[in-house]
Amino acid sequence: MLKRKAALAAIPIVIFLLGWEALSRGSLLNPYLFPPPTTILMELGNLFMKGMPAQSALLMHVGMTLWRVLLSVVLGIVAGVIVGVAMGLNRAVYSFFDPLITVLMPIPGIALAPLFIVWMGFGNQTIVSLGVLSAFFPVVYTTVAGVRSVDPQLVRAAQMMGSRPIGVVLNVYLPWAATYVFNGVKLGLARCWMTIIAVEFVAASNWGMGYMIWNAAENLRADVVYGGILLLIVIYFILEKALINRLESRTIARWGMIRQA
Amino acid sequence: MLTQEPVVTQQTAARSVWGVVRFVYPFVVVALIWETALRLGWVQSVSLPAPSQIAAEFWRLAVTQGVLWEHFSASFYRLAVGYFLAVGIGVTVGALLSLSPLLRGLFEPVLSLLVSVPTIAWLPVLLITMGLGDRTVITTVFLGGFFAITYNTMRGIEMVPRNQILAAREMGVNGAHLFFAVLLPGSLVSLITGLRLGIGYAWRALVGGEMLAAMIEWGIGKMVFQARFFNNVSIMFVGILLIGLSGYLLDRTFLRWLEMATVERWGMVRRR
Amino acid sequence: MLQNENAPALIQIRDLAKEFDPQSKNTVEALRDINLDIEEGKFTVLIGPSGCGKSTLLYLLAGFEKPTRGSLLLDGKPVEKPGPDRGFVFQDYALFPWRTVLGNITFGLRSNGWSKADADAKAREYIAMVKLNGFENAFPHTLSGGMKQRVAIARALAYNPRVLLMDEPFGALDSQTRKHMQQELQRILMQTNKTVVFVTHSVIEAVFLADRIVVLTARPGMVKGIIDVNLPRPREYTDDSYLDIREAVLSLLSEEVEKELEMDGM
Repeated sequence: MLKRKAALAAIPIVIFLLGWEALSRGSLLNPYLFPPPTTILMELGNLFMKGMPAQSALLMHVGMTLWRVLLSVVLGIVAGVIVGVAMGLNRAVYSFFDPLITVLMPIPGIALAPLFIVWMGFGNQTIVSLGVLSAFFPVVYTTVAGVRSVDPQLVRAAQMMGSRPIGVVLNVYLPWAATYVFNGVKLGLARCWMTIIAVEFVAASNWGMGYMIWNAAENLRADVVYGGILLLIVIYFILEKALINRLESRTIARWGMIRQA
Repeated sequence: MLTQEPVVTQQTAARSVWGVVRFVYPFVVVALIWETALRLGWVQSVSLPAPSQIAAEFWRLAVTQGVLWEHFSASFYRLAVGYFLAVGIGVTVGALLSLSPLLRGLFEPVLSLLVSVPTIAWLPVLLITMGLGDRTVITTVFLGGFFAITYNTMRGIEMVPRNQILAAREMGVNGAHLFFAVLLPGSLVSLITGLRLGIGYAWRALVGGEMLAAMIEWGIGKMVFQARFFNNVSIMFVGILLIGLSGYLLDRTFLRWLEMATVERWGMVRRR
Repeated sequence: MLQNENAPALIQIRDLAKEFDPQSKNTVEALRDINLDIEEGKFTVLIGPSGCGKSTLLYLLAGFEKPTRGSLLLDGKPVEKPGPDRGFVFQDYALFPWRTVLGNITFGLRSNGWSKADADAKAREYIAMVKLNGFENAFPHTLSGGMKQRVAIARALAYNPRVLLMDEPFGALDSQTRKHMQQELQRILMQTNKTVVFVTHSVIEAVFLADRIVVLTARPGMVKGIIDVNLPRPREYTDDSYLDIREAVLSLLSEEVEKELEMDGM
């Protein structure tokens, strides 16, 4: 059954790739704009080997982007959870920050890039700051919802047993909000990934997948552009499956707290 | 009933005025602190304009020069074309995929993989293949909206209860009639979610596209991006705030009425 | 009221009143003029028609709510907020889903400064007492209702509070499990000799468990009458020596239930 499904899904992809290959090789498609898939893969291989054995140009680009994403997501989650808990616990804090967040959240990270470039110049500071911001908002949003939905009996139970306020936050509010926070982290990772790639287009100085793709586009190296995008798809797929799903199965799934969306 | 109505509207009016005040006051507080900090010299920076400077810049752009509206109309033209293309094609594709098991088996996995590609990542491809102008930006907007709308249309139609469809078939309802009378209303909750997500993605894609497509002249994203070349941070702030506000208003007004008029009235979702 | 002249009662309730939303026109008067002593080592049951404020009284004892008027003393000190001198057992268990059975029971001990090793050892004693050996590392969602309530009882007893407050703890269980849990509770309390305040609306449960039954009136809740149950323990369900006590409680209660029905306009 599963095999049949995979085979069915592979049909359009294979036809698409074969058609592309044939049309491009036969020059029915402009091979400069649409280089054949085999060429794209070869070019990815070349980029991987470039600089070997000391280093690999492709891995440097990938590594730099992943490092930025990871740093941004971690900082964004920490800040988001702290602000989210404060908002969830306190009405005044909530009513102050909620309108600000509502208006700031829909601003795409790339729109802030020119401003941050003026403030911090090209490079990591600008890229990571915008990455943090883009991960921060979804996490705040969901954390607030999670904290506000806490079962009051659990809070009472913890207080009854002599838990201090900070203990109640760490042992009741946070684990309760975990289901919600995970949704925020998923969203945050997606937005952070998007923002980092986009900001790397304009603000990276020499490494990063966004920089690699953008630079290739400006030099009309279509093969590198397509290869880069293919890599983006694969890496994000792995990131989500490996990181988020594993974290989920170790925590909220084990606690019987997964709810059907 | 009739005599009570004015009282009710007064109450809701009072409540909505109070709601606006509550929404606006944090911005006022932040602006006041910011302004004071700059005026009293607590913070000093050439690249951080005071709110009053930003307001003056807004006035210049919106009234004295009036260029703001040119930027806005260029942006909304691109958004409208790209988004409506996305709605038309997205709903059609989504419906086809949900109604034909074969098509779904063939294309759903590809689709769910492509959904995860950041829209902005398509931009370099488009810049190479379609040039640096309007066509590229509109296509980016289209791609931004398309996947979310397609995916949610498909999910929505899948979730229409089997027995509703059977009951309709029993009554002799088929084909297009079945689609418009049963499947469309039944899937509307999910469809509207898709439309809302779609307009959000499309708006972001628009801003990114306008910034990076070199050959266009107008557009709110372009305005922000160009301000960098003459180091005018005030313009950037005006542009960024308007981008945020427009994104918020697009979500709250444009699709909210659709939601209120349909799924909320039918009791399919809880009133917010 | 019966009272030991030499030692003051463990819990002293004086002229207690509780109103919800006292400033608005929707004020609900939940409790009025409650005067009650709860003695150390005794099992006190609060019973009354639904909505009579028996749970509110328990919440006031717990410190979850604040009284509108009057005073509430535990060991001579006013009750102001929840704290580890009391243990609370909720009807819906209120176990932490993210902690194992052991983790739930050690929570109170760890919150009060016990080392991990000592807390674990103590918790294991109580796991044995409620007969949950082998389930130390199970997460709550994998347990049955009766087992969950055993964990909740062990959790509330483990840090040795002065008094155990129980809010219809067996209300969510099926009748077989419920009977079994009543007997288990009796067995556990005979070992620990704990003071208990127990809210229920079941007369059978009240008479089976109680040393003293406090009957409350329909809203606003006042003390309608107090019935002492001086029967030897362990009690058995086959005992019918307390049928007349059951009758006495029922007759006090049925007047109130009728009153409540009239108030509802039935």
